[in-house]
Amino acid sequence: MSGIESHGLTKVFGSFMAVNNLTFRVEDGEVLALLGPNGAGKTTTIRMLSCLITPTSGDAYVAGYSILKEAGIVRRSVGILTESPSLYERLTAVENLDFFAQAYGMNDPLERISRIRQTLEKLGLWERRNDRVSTYSKGMKQKLAFARAILHKPQILFLDEPTSNLDPSSARMMREEIHSMSKKEGRAILLSTHRLEDVERLADRVIIIREGRLVAEGTPRDIEFKAAGVSKLEVRVRGNHPELREKILGIVGVTDVEVTDEGGRFVVGCDALEEVTPQVVRLIVGAGCDVLSVQELRGSLEDAYLNLLKEGKGA
Amino acid sequence: MRLQNVSLVFKKDWLEISRNWQVLFPVIVVPVVFSMVLPLFMLNFPSQTGALGPLQGLFSNLPGTVKALFLSFDEKQTTFYMVAVYFFAPFFLIIPLIAASVIASDSFAGEKERRTIEALLATPVSDSEMFLGKMLVAFAAAMISTLGSFLVYVSVVDAISFHLFNGMLILPNLTWLLLIFLLAPAVSLASVGLTVTISARVKGFREAQQINAIVIVPILIAVFGEAWIAVILGPATMALLVVVFALADVFMFLLGVSMFRREEILANMA
Repeated sequence: MSGIESHGLTKVFGSFMAVNNLTFRVEDGEVLALLGPNGAGKTTTIRMLSCLITPTSGDAYVAGYSILKEAGIVRRSVGILTESPSLYERLTAVENLDFFAQAYGMNDPLERISRIRQTLEKLGLWERRNDRVSTYSKGMKQKLAFARAILHKPQILFLDEPTSNLDPSSARMMREEIHSMSKKEGRAILLSTHRLEDVERLADRVIIIREGRLVAEGTPRDIEFKAAGVSKLEVRVRGNHPELREKILGIVGVTDVEVTDEGGRFVVGCDALEEVTPQVVRLIVGAGCDVLSVQELRGSLEDAYLNLLKEGKGA
Repeated sequence: MRLQNVSLVFKKDWLEISRNWQVLFPVIVVPVVFSMVLPLFMLNFPSQTGALGPLQGLFSNLPGTVKALFLSFDEKQTTFYMVAVYFFAPFFLIIPLIAASVIASDSFAGEKERRTIEALLATPVSDSEMFLGKMLVAFAAAMISTLGSFLVYVSVVDAISFHLFNGMLILPNLTWLLLIFLLAPAVSLASVGLTVTISARVKGFREAQQINAIVIVPILIAVFGEAWIAVILGPATMALLVVVFALADVFMFLLGVSMFRREEILANMA
């Protein structure tokens, strides 16, 4: 057993239920994104899995070890990027990393120095290695905090908002690094984020939580379709042909047709895109019209996410 | 418990406080006041006037064996000796308490305020290793402060006594050596243990300092009184006090570790 397995994780603070019976799994080599509004329970979930806090009920296995019975071993096996960078500002980058490397069991000084250098160079911080962290920008602190999380090559990574405060090129670099660690190095990664761009580009699967409960689970594409309900096809034709609407509606599998641009653009809702698309195109061409473009209109993950939160739809 | 991890936490915290003037200030200033400024004033006054004055009460309550020492002294020498050897002795228990107070209060509460505590708690370093490492930082600062003060104080006293007692150096004596090298460390460790425990349970540094001040004052008064008695009665009483505080040290450490809760520390983060 490896990766992350959560079984009915629950956390109650006084009378407030922060996490309610959360069950999910992250395989080695997989990136699972944890999506949810502020206060949904994402950080509490990560804290339980990294053995910072104890669940009220339920259990989880991280890298094969129980968070209830083997907390010390779990902590050695994970790397965590916390919500705030949590760096010692009076210390330099090297001093910060050297401390945490030793705390995570990297006792060989040569290995430590080599690994620190490798990580700082990869993240573009090597030139500033001997500067105190208090002189760093927010983005640099974020990168250094990420360096701390990956320094000891943990099998499991918990990343809370990894690309926050990063400029576009740094965010891309971070995403590439996360992707590489997942796919090339086979690490299991749990990513908590508000940035749907990160989810779309990184996540193999997504779980959406609201008020501590899991409301949806699946690939980003699954989530989009689940929320959208139907597939949509956009067809643009030369000229204006609003009369085509009724004919398209007659095709089996078509649920609705929206006409815009005075009859030059049709948005066709349907159950089975692969069956309906050729029929729609044949109909339009057969009516003597020129087809300018045909494309699938995917609901955005943002729309899906917001709809799911609003309606609390199940997986 | 892995001493390697205790040492790791110690070194990291030591490096941090060495770059934090807010925390270093009392470690430096308090000893200077107690070991140099006050003694210079108080020692010079009676050595010039020869008057026992307010010390008459102390003198009259001294045991006979101690009073016998003064038979060969004139009034100036008696006054100077009493002030230098007896009056200031308990202050050297206050120095480590005050010097370490800020560092100990900052140990966990400061990390909560600076939001560095979460990453530290997420490491495999155990509760006892973390607690002991942070205790030792405050303790080490306290002892450096105390020893430095002691050296300065002895130099000041002996510089005056050399002149006043025709070449005789009155400090250090056995009681003072026991006070500085055994009793002061024992008292300091107990106080540091208590303060670090408080620091782990409050939201921030200021709250830690406020609670510490309320808790420490009665302890200070008790320690002050006991130390005075011990100094007057001699090494045997001093040794007994050392044993009592050594037991208190172990108790405070075990109590502190048993009350250490990562979850509560995170919940109390400002």
